[in-house]
Amino acid sequence: MVTRRDFLKHSSLLALAPTIPGFLARTAHAAAPQRDRRILVVLELNGGNDGINTVVPFADEGYAKHRKTLRLPKDRLIKVNDEIGLHPSLGNFGKFLEAGQLAIIQGVGYPNPSRSHFQSMATWHTARLDPEEHKGPGWLGRGLDAPGRRSSALLVGSGPPPVAIRGRRCSAAAIDRLEDFALDSGIDPRKALAEGEPADEMAAFVQRSMLDAYTTADRLQRLAAIPDSSRYPQSGLAARLRIIAQLLKGGLDTRIFYTLQPGYDTHRAQLAPHSNLLFELSAALKAFLDDLAAAQLADRVVVLLFSEFGRAVRENSSGGTDHGTAGPVFLAGANLRGGIVGGTPSLLDLDPNHGDLRRTLDFRQVYATVLEDWLGLPAHAALGGSFEHLPVFQS
Amino acid sequence: MESPARIGPSGAVGTWAVYVPSASAPWNLRRVVHLHRRAGFAATWNEIQRDLRDGPQASVDRVLAGRASSAGVPEEFQSTADLLGETAVASGDPARLKAWWIYRMLFGPDPLTERLALLWHNHFATSNLKVENLGLMRRQNELFRNLGRGLFGDLLNAVVHDPAMLIWLDAPSNRKGHPNENLARELMELFSMGIGHYTEHDVQEAARALTGWSLEEELFAEVPVRHDPGQKTILGHTGPWKGDDLVRMVLEHPATAHRLTGRICELFLSEPMLSTADTRALADGLRARNLDIGWAVETVLRSQNFFADRNLGNRVMSPVQYIIGAARALELFEPPSSTLVLAEWCSQLGQDLFYPPNVGGWPGGRSWLTTRAVIGRANYAAALVEGKRVGRPGPMKVLALAERYGEQDLVAFFTRLLLGTDPTPALRTRLETDTADAGRRAVARILAMPEAHLI
Repeated sequence: MVTRRDFLKHSSLLALAPTIPGFLARTAHAAAPQRDRRILVVLELNGGNDGINTVVPFADEGYAKHRKTLRLPKDRLIKVNDEIGLHPSLGNFGKFLEAGQLAIIQGVGYPNPSRSHFQSMATWHTARLDPEEHKGPGWLGRGLDAPGRRSSALLVGSGPPPVAIRGRRCSAAAIDRLEDFALDSGIDPRKALAEGEPADEMAAFVQRSMLDAYTTADRLQRLAAIPDSSRYPQSGLAARLRIIAQLLKGGLDTRIFYTLQPGYDTHRAQLAPHSNLLFELSAALKAFLDDLAAAQLADRVVVLLFSEFGRAVRENSSGGTDHGTAGPVFLAGANLRGGIVGGTPSLLDLDPNHGDLRRTLDFRQVYATVLEDWLGLPAHAALGGSFEHLPVFQS
Repeated sequence: MESPARIGPSGAVGTWAVYVPSASAPWNLRRVVHLHRRAGFAATWNEIQRDLRDGPQASVDRVLAGRASSAGVPEEFQSTADLLGETAVASGDPARLKAWWIYRMLFGPDPLTERLALLWHNHFATSNLKVENLGLMRRQNELFRNLGRGLFGDLLNAVVHDPAMLIWLDAPSNRKGHPNENLARELMELFSMGIGHYTEHDVQEAARALTGWSLEEELFAEVPVRHDPGQKTILGHTGPWKGDDLVRMVLEHPATAHRLTGRICELFLSEPMLSTADTRALADGLRARNLDIGWAVETVLRSQNFFADRNLGNRVMSPVQYIIGAARALELFEPPSSTLVLAEWCSQLGQDLFYPPNVGGWPGGRSWLTTRAVIGRANYAAALVEGKRVGRPGPMKVLALAERYGEQDLVAFFTRLLLGTDPTPALRTRLETDTADAGRRAVARILAMPEAHLI
């Protein structure tokens, strides 16, 4: 199997790397097998997204019954079918769905759901139900830990890398600004490099690493300099997704990116802020996917959107919702078999144990599907068991 | 009988015999620079000249005695370091604890002990991300410093009873009937024998032996009611084992001496250079000496292996070595760089002190050179000579440093100082030094050469 790095290593182009014209650089890219180069972007909707007002079961009598002030008028929903419609802010999601680029996985949760942000988020991050195991590595970290994998994961955002991407062996890093990849203009460090490869194997390796890194820095700088045809809205999420797109265009060999959109903990006066959050999400995601499509990277990237829990079926008396259980998970990308997966949870037939939405799918089914069918990473060890895959990827 | 000078510490023979300069392996600039980079954080020009004069035995003596660094060491080093440590803990700011360690490495007289502390921080990788207690992190760090060159048994025992480690590996939640295997597994897999020398059943039984280990008021405590007193079979031995029995068993296992050998060689030698016989000889020596780390360190540092041609310049420097080494060699002591800022550079370059990426520590070696880290290293080289972005008031005076030692040829002086070699004609054509700005740029570029990242 030839990786991009191997290709470059054995290529006489290498000595010219600083001046490799774009089309040759693309050829070098094309030499790599698709499977190793697939990218996952995880987007955490932090705080507990109100799944019921995101994928709205308007035909369910329970919707009008439990959602008095928060009920979204049926005629303003983005109709998906005779039973469900998307929040009016999710116009772009409707278009993705039509184009087969969005999978809406309904009713995703886990047994004995916790309504604690911390504990539920830890469950989602570690893919472990036992709180005793919540201090361990995360599901993606464990996936990347698999023998023979040498890959890394990156948080784009502030703070340390989240548990989900931390493993026992794999490396996880965090950046919140693209400048971390900018080369100081004061010295041109290429002047420090020998012409041609050093004879010593180790020095040659270091020199190759440097050429690779400087080339990435240059690409990112050029990308920053040319007027960008991509149109990102003004929001923190859009800025973070834009950084991910830039890094992908720059050729960074990270396979898993993680970022988040905070603010979903809508306990009071929820209508306007929730609508704004979803609008921001929808606009940022569209800009990101458009940007990737224009850069011909779309078929390499899948975005996974999840939240630590849905919100309670019954609205509270402050015009908001309290913590709930199952909720929808979304996958977006060009390589999907789009559509609706899993049954819509009933708002009348609630789970007798906790009085809230029954889950129709286990979150680890989503993870197993993404790990094996998209990333080609072994899921069993990562998830601590085997889970039935969902039919969301084109085989 | 060989002459005393040829016999290694406590009689080491074969390739572990003491290095004696020869025509094919002379005591020269390259080897002095090598000694200081592998066993410390690089030397200043004066220290290099001193060691060139004194020869290998006296030079290694000084390294072992904790006197390798003389330049930049303040008279009040120890009390200043202690004060910095205490105030860092009191402030609750992790950045200040990182800066404390940077201070110890940059200004301390004993770089070998700090390098070993770094080795143990990696071997027993514990992150404050989960411990969230700077006092405990500092206490663990002092433990690496105090026991890092003694008997491995003392070190291992201290570490598995160390509060930061107990929090890190969930010891308090390992209770009778509710085992948590975290500490048991890492004790066997990472801290001692290594994978392949125990079974999953051993891990489960070892976890039972460790039940009841906990913390009270930030100190190790055994909670008898949480301990599972039943029979356990660990590594083929059956008995009502407790945690201390487990530690004794893994220490006695031959694989532990082997793994310890690997760790020490990883620090000082290039990976592929040792034959199986070399490794076995050192591991056997360790077992015969009750796993005396200091003995192994001395044996390696004095050996022909250590000074062999094939051991020169073929390991990738860690970010801490790169950052501290460049600042030391260039004598940027007065005014000093900000230790807070240097710690931040270490983190940028992939080695966030007190925050190793996971229980396995930093993978190290070639994996240091990620895209971001390589860009960061070039940027650090530029920042160091320019001054402001490392917290110094102004640019470095490169010519003044060379002239202090009577050197006019900037490229030659800095190539020798930083790489231990003479500049090639090709390098000269790439580096201009006709102005102060150009001179500084030249020094930064030498620091950005592939060879400057290798030790």
